Amino acid sequence: MLWYRFWLETRARFLTSLATVTIFCGVFVYHAEGLLRPQWKSGFNRLLFINQQFLVIMWILACVLLGMGGIVREKAVGTSSLTLSLPVRRATVLGVRVGVGLAEAIVLGVVPWLTVFVISAWAGMPISITQVGSYIVLLTGGGLVYFATAVLVSSLVVGEYTAPAVAFGVVLLSVLVFDNWLPRFNAWRLVTGDFSIDRKTFLLGKHLPWPGILASLAVAALMVLASMLVVERREF
Amino acid sequence: MFYKLTPTTGQPLYLQLMQQVRHAAETGALRDGDQLPGIRTLAEELVVSPNTVAKAYGELEHEGLLELRQGLGAFVCVKRRTRSLANDVNLARRRIRDLIEQLREDGLLDAEIRRAFEAELLYAAEAVRKR
Amino acid sequence: MTNEAVILTQGLTKSYGNREAVRALNLSVGRNRITAFLGRNGAGKSTTIKVLLGMVRATAGGGTVLGKQITDKKANLDMRRRVAYVAEDKPLYGYMTVEQTISFARSFYSDWRTNVERQLLRDYELPTRQKIKQLSKGMRTKLALLLAFARRPELLILDEPSDGLDPVGIENLLQTLVAQSADGVTVFFSSHQIAEVERVADHVCILEKGCLAVDAPLDELRQSYRRIDLVFSFPAPEREFRISGVERIRTSGHQMSVLASRNAEALVERAHRLNAVSVEVAPVGLREIFLETVKEN
Repeated sequence: MLWYRFWLETRARFLTSLATVTIFCGVFVYHAEGLLRPQWKSGFNRLLFINQQFLVIMWILACVLLGMGGIVREKAVGTSSLTLSLPVRRATVLGVRVGVGLAEAIVLGVVPWLTVFVISAWAGMPISITQVGSYIVLLTGGGLVYFATAVLVSSLVVGEYTAPAVAFGVVLLSVLVFDNWLPRFNAWRLVTGDFSIDRKTFLLGKHLPWPGILASLAVAALMVLASMLVVERREF
Repeated sequence: MFYKLTPTTGQPLYLQLMQQVRHAAETGALRDGDQLPGIRTLAEELVVSPNTVAKAYGELEHEGLLELRQGLGAFVCVKRRTRSLANDVNLARRRIRDLIEQLREDGLLDAEIRRAFEAELLYAAEAVRKR
Repeated sequence: MTNEAVILTQGLTKSYGNREAVRALNLSVGRNRITAFLGRNGAGKSTTIKVLLGMVRATAGGGTVLGKQITDKKANLDMRRRVAYVAEDKPLYGYMTVEQTISFARSFYSDWRTNVERQLLRDYELPTRQKIKQLSKGMRTKLALLLAFARRPELLILDEPSDGLDPVGIENLLQTLVAQSADGVTVFFSSHQIAEVERVADHVCILEKGCLAVDAPLDELRQSYRRIDLVFSFPAPEREFRISGVERIRTSGHQMSVLASRNAEALVERAHRLNAVSVEVAPVGLREIFLETVKEN
């Protein structure tokens, strides 16, 4: 019943984030409809692009929050003795936690964009489902590395409030560092679509940056693996 | 059957239990063929370790006072010999009553008398054990 | 009934930095007995338990639980299935309800006894729909204990189980421990309630500064420890009584009080030979034995 346990643990965080993000996107796009004339096609696409920028910020914030938890945090809160006395491997506990967080992160990316799709269609400005799909793939495929960062931080840093603070700090720092010195490897720009957007039509290109996405997912997987090793060896 | 086991008297609980069962058999509170509660039941009732009850029952069986029948429980076997012991105990109590009256007349308080008895009993028990 | 040790440590040591929490501990807990693990706060009881369960690694030495080495990672998983542990802080997930907690715990153990679960739910009067974070301390303790008692472990390790319980709750707890022992479970528990320990324990281990200061059957302690109060017609000859087995002597003029862990008969004989005016021998309760053992020497 580990899945159920982690669902109960993250339920509030997840539903609040989902509501916030979805409502924001919905309202944003809905109002955008009112400001535009039908012929400003590229203008509307630009607004979708801007929506992605906001969504990315909120999504990454939410993912960091969802990535918090784990046995190290339990030590600060006082429940680690219970989890550690269960006949389950520590790696399994982490794995299930990551699985639940992963599912939640994906839903957090899909639902807002589907809402945008539905509202646009209902308001008479339909957008192609391919665009929506592309944005979703960029968000979840490229952005899960931030979720993994949060998981890794949560297994290294003790403290109920210290861990999220450090996680946010690391994310911010990494974005700044990459943007300044390694702009081509900046996952943030990948996720927001910066690398794939056509500046004239503001449509995402036919070819998504698959190497970048796969690399990002690989790094995320490595981070989760590292977290497992840390938790296995740690003393509680 | 009401038992009272006191953890603080310096005497192992199983010995106290044995004494109380013996006393009950001598005074007739337990008669030949009576069934004693199972080890688990008595342990839960008295809130003592089952090992204590088991040890007491085992020793009493060794002495011949109890018969442990597999799966059925512990049964009392009072032989005619122990009947006279009941009389001995009654006699002893009368003697103790007289002695206590005398000690009171001598001016000793009840608490002092009790402590003296306990000390002597403990000392006597040591001496017996040493032998 | 084989009498092999359910818990056995050899030279177990655990240091945190340069502080030795557990020092060369040789602990042996016999099967099917109720063993009490006493010690002051910070003596190393919780650390010892954590090392035994694999939550913390020993600095030196080793041990076995249920026959398997504590360093064996694979065996450790199986061991957790056969050992029920309730930590000192009675850990429970605050965001779950009582019902959810029980379902959660039940899902991990195939030996779960639903009848015992229901019985204890009734006895403890736990509100099933309430969230853990809203429960009182006593209720949390009872629920944490229920999660252990509803299983059929071979070994029950309880760290301060009576903490937070009222006298009725403590009585129920002791009855449950006795019932578990009667079912064949080895009980290993630490407690500050020495009066309660005295009623149900078969064996007593007193941990002081990471080492075992006392490790004996409770009956043996009961029969060996004696307080001997002596009065002489001359100033009490303290020197004459400093023999082996004497833990503490207090003198005041013609009076002397001796606490002996053994050899009481020898002391009484010596007192008579020295023409003591009054010799009184009294038993020593476990509380006094404990206090005497852990006092700074």
